[in-house]
Amino acid sequence: MAIIEINDVSKTYPNGCSALDSICLSIEEGQFVAIIGPSGSGKTTLIRLMNGLEPATKGCVVVDNLKVCKHHLRKIRSRVGMVFQHFNLVDQLNVMTNVLSGRLSRRHWLPSMLYLFHKTDYAAATEALRRVELLGKAWTRADKLSGGQQQRAGVARALAQEPKMILADEPVASLDPVIGRGIIKLLKEISERDGITVVANLHQVKMVRQFADRVIGLHNGRIVFDGSPSRLDDAALHRIYYGVTNENDLNGNKDQHLAVAYP
Amino acid sequence: MKMTLMATKTSIWQWPTLSGRPPLLAVLGPLGVVLLLVVSANLVEFSFMHIIRSGRPFIDFMQNLLVMPDWVFMPQLLTKMLETVEITLLATAIALVISFPLGILAAKNASPCPLIFNVTRNLLSVIRSLPELVWALVFVSALGLGPLPGVMALAVVTVGFMGKFFAESIEVVGENAVEGIQAHGANRLQVIWYSMLPQAMPDFIGSLLYILDHNLRAAAILGLVGAGGIGYDMVMSMRLFNYNRIILIVMSIYLLVTLLDRLSVRLRMKLIHGQAREALQ
Repeated sequence: MAIIEINDVSKTYPNGCSALDSICLSIEEGQFVAIIGPSGSGKTTLIRLMNGLEPATKGCVVVDNLKVCKHHLRKIRSRVGMVFQHFNLVDQLNVMTNVLSGRLSRRHWLPSMLYLFHKTDYAAATEALRRVELLGKAWTRADKLSGGQQQRAGVARALAQEPKMILADEPVASLDPVIGRGIIKLLKEISERDGITVVANLHQVKMVRQFADRVIGLHNGRIVFDGSPSRLDDAALHRIYYGVTNENDLNGNKDQHLAVAYP
Repeated sequence: MKMTLMATKTSIWQWPTLSGRPPLLAVLGPLGVVLLLVVSANLVEFSFMHIIRSGRPFIDFMQNLLVMPDWVFMPQLLTKMLETVEITLLATAIALVISFPLGILAAKNASPCPLIFNVTRNLLSVIRSLPELVWALVFVSALGLGPLPGVMALAVVTVGFMGKFFAESIEVVGENAVEGIQAHGANRLQVIWYSMLPQAMPDFIGSLLYILDHNLRAAAILGLVGAGGIGYDMVMSMRLFNYNRIILIVMSIYLLVTLLDRLSVRLRMKLIHGQAREALQ
């Protein structure tokens, strides 16, 4: 069953910049989907459309049988977790409170105004922290953690929410390769064990090949590749990163490009 | 020879603008300010000579303060100082309770709609437009003499300032953390509570401590119009040339303000950096 249906969606920002152009896409439940493409190709916009952080200018996005619109926004967001490039934790709160904030959507406003959480919330948060191996830092202020730890706290926040899907907007772009790999491995394990759909923007082709079930390649706001990572050959990568479909256009310096571009 | 030197000089040194010349605003801005000052100085009869010539009477006056303090005045001074501190704390506490919700409504990113935002912003500036003493006069004529009108006057003005400061500390919070809470389905109030308030809090505590400092000094002159506190004694001693009392009053206000300042430095460190000891070492 498809958890996300994107029907002929375009997005133009108020400053006239066109980010996405007639995108049609459907994502199956439980998959690990990687979105790749050069900077400025619309990856982030595509991810942010899926929980309404960015409204579409044209077309419609349906998440878990709910159309993304103002009326359904909170309902959708309560089923969709998100992991950010810059972690987006609240620095002044401790890790536990940050993780618990993933469960705000299921709580009445009154107890949450007093920073009161239900016992089941603590159970879920503790379990999430255990899974990301950050239980020892539960009562530390978020800004005292290292980048990798902060991102694991971010994953724990999404996990504590018990979502159907996790969106990850360049989750490893601010981390070193080893720690970044750990985060992606964690997301993969979450998708495999809990059946949570994961949609992630990634720049590391090697990781995409290893972990993704499906790869979507964007170039200039259009989908230029959609398939399993085994089909992600050099020609496909060129189509994605240079927008060149014909290999003859590469003028023989293809290997040099490749050596630089796809570590 | 001179010409070539000039030429090399201009070619070596250059401003980081497209034309290489300093930006127009950076030249005209300060010039305009100086011009404005020159024009307005005349209006307020500003004169260096007059200030220099007034040095002598000023020193004469200050010499009057070199007297033995009037220790008999101490008990009365202490009660009045205590009253001043009470006015300050009570007024600030009342204002805190009122300006907390007003500040949220007056912050562009937390306000439910532009209309409410504009109305609260304007309300706060209307309150601020009259100084404490004028509000005190209003409340004295309504409530009679004593510390109560002082508390009310100070509380009203403080709402105007505190609401504005609080709104401004909310408006500068980081977008990222706000989005982090939003993306997980929290409602409006929860987003404000869990991402905006924690981020705004250190800044707000800083403003609060400054306001406390300011209010202590404001409460010290409220007595001028009969609104309680040490102000009445200060003015009366001034008028009766009781310098042995003035020196005591000035010293005690100085001590209080300094004490508050020390306390606020510690508190701020603790709140901004999490732990006081870590930050101070």
